[in-house]
Amino acid sequence: MSVEKQKALTLSLTGGFFTGDRFGNYLWIFPLLLGFAVWEAVTRSGLVPSSRLPTFSSVLVVFFASIQSESFLLRIGHSFLNLICGLVLAFSVALPLAFAAGSRNKFDLTLTPIVMLFGALPDLSFLPLLVLWFGAGNAAAVIMASLAGFFPIYFTVRQGTKNIPRELFDVTTIFKADRFSTFTKMVLPAISPHLFSGLRLAYDFAWEIIIAIEIATRVAGIGNFIDGNVASGSLQNGFAAIFAIAIVAIVVDRAFFGSLESWTKKWA
Amino acid sequence: MDNHVELDNVSKFYDAGRRLHALHEVSFGVGEGEFVSIVGPSGCGKSTLLKIIAGLDKPTSGQVKFRGGEICGPHSKISLVFQAFGLFPWRTVLQNVEYGLEMQRVPKGERQKLARDYLGLVGLAGYEQMYPKQLSGGMRQRVGIARALAVEPEVVLMDEAFSAIDEVTAEVLRDEVAEIHRQTGKTFVLVTHNLSEAIELADKVVVLSSRPAKVKKIMPISLDRPRDRTHALFVHMHRDILHMLKEELENTFIRHKLKGISELQSLHDMESAHANPNKPVAEKAEVTT
Repeated sequence: MSVEKQKALTLSLTGGFFTGDRFGNYLWIFPLLLGFAVWEAVTRSGLVPSSRLPTFSSVLVVFFASIQSESFLLRIGHSFLNLICGLVLAFSVALPLAFAAGSRNKFDLTLTPIVMLFGALPDLSFLPLLVLWFGAGNAAAVIMASLAGFFPIYFTVRQGTKNIPRELFDVTTIFKADRFSTFTKMVLPAISPHLFSGLRLAYDFAWEIIIAIEIATRVAGIGNFIDGNVASGSLQNGFAAIFAIAIVAIVVDRAFFGSLESWTKKWA
Repeated sequence: MDNHVELDNVSKFYDAGRRLHALHEVSFGVGEGEFVSIVGPSGCGKSTLLKIIAGLDKPTSGQVKFRGGEICGPHSKISLVFQAFGLFPWRTVLQNVEYGLEMQRVPKGERQKLARDYLGLVGLAGYEQMYPKQLSGGMRQRVGIARALAVEPEVVLMDEAFSAIDEVTAEVLRDEVAEIHRQTGKTFVLVTHNLSEAIELADKVVVLSSRPAKVKKIMPISLDRPRDRTHALFVHMHRDILHMLKEELENTFIRHKLKGISELQSLHDMESAHANPNKPVAEKAEVTT
């Protein structure tokens, strides 16, 4: 692979975050380092007792030990798997509904007010019922994550479908595209910028809800791990877990959504 | 000569809240290799007419015939150039031109070769890998024309194809379309509101009336090509058509005005009926409506 190709690949994989392309340089590192330094100083000076806030350096040591521990990684994997299952479920229900609502006015008028009604409710208010019906386990977590992911996907895709110019449908008709290729080669790419931002929002929402459920219902996962460790006083482990979640969330956000968006940036 | 495309008493009604009469028994023929321009007052339904020929819309009554057979729906030998270009922004120039062939399941190598040929024809060789957003309006319409030609149609329909482009570019593009028409001998039907453009390109100009659109006049244009817009006959024809269209617009205007007056009249009658309940007005109101 040529250097140029490799550069382009890194750029598309990371959305420019690590190559420093999007931010022009690595300036963002300095405030981050400053923050960690202040944190370290605050605890070391005794301003805050280490039982409330462990030093940054001790967290870092625990973090590097944790990411070599299989059970720690499995817990993150567990949460991540629930999250992905929830998003896949949300995507497969929301996409056809949103597409139908965006293209048929009657369907839109029938369905969208109801979706809005449910969307206005705080998702977590359903949690006790879901736990009652499905038990405090993965099923409840997946369903909650899909609920959180449903709304952003539904509304962005619906709007995206409505925004497709009439002329583009005429183009598919003139060139005799069948229904399937009209959907895959015209509608899907046309709504993709909307779809991607919907997915990104859904991903963020789902992370929050997954952690909340794990803390509230003690479903095994990284959220539950944080809760247990903080409660028993080993704050270093709690912080290490938060670091790990942050890294997973950012890397996926940059690698997956960044590359999708760099594709739409080329033409949109 | 048999007509290549023929419209036989095409009428169109729309039901959008109230019944709208768009086309009224439109009939005319387009010979093979002929270039026909359709002009009419704005909002008269000329784009509707083109959409019906293209198979994007169905006539309420009447028929569109291609080589003598009735057509319903899009026909693979009839292609369309869109007013706002109708390009897919996520496809490169080459992929856009390939689209029609792709839908016909032409193998990739073959359709790329054809697409490159037609891009060359419209002067866009070297732009294959660009995206539409990187091109100017005139260049985008060239892509639109290449895409329409790439499926090797017998009839090319153009819906206000030059109206979204700046005038100088449009002028160049019109010359190129005239040249393509001369070289390929394909049949062209152009809907436009630009009378000079209509006369410059066409073998005959179909003038439509205001809504519901009827054929007001068919004017054969026998001027030599390439055409000179300052030629006396050209100017004369331009004035004639302009006069007809103005007349149509005035008719519409007067109709609307009369309708307004009759509504005012009935309002006045109702008021005076209130003031003087003994005076019968029912009869009068009926006349005005």
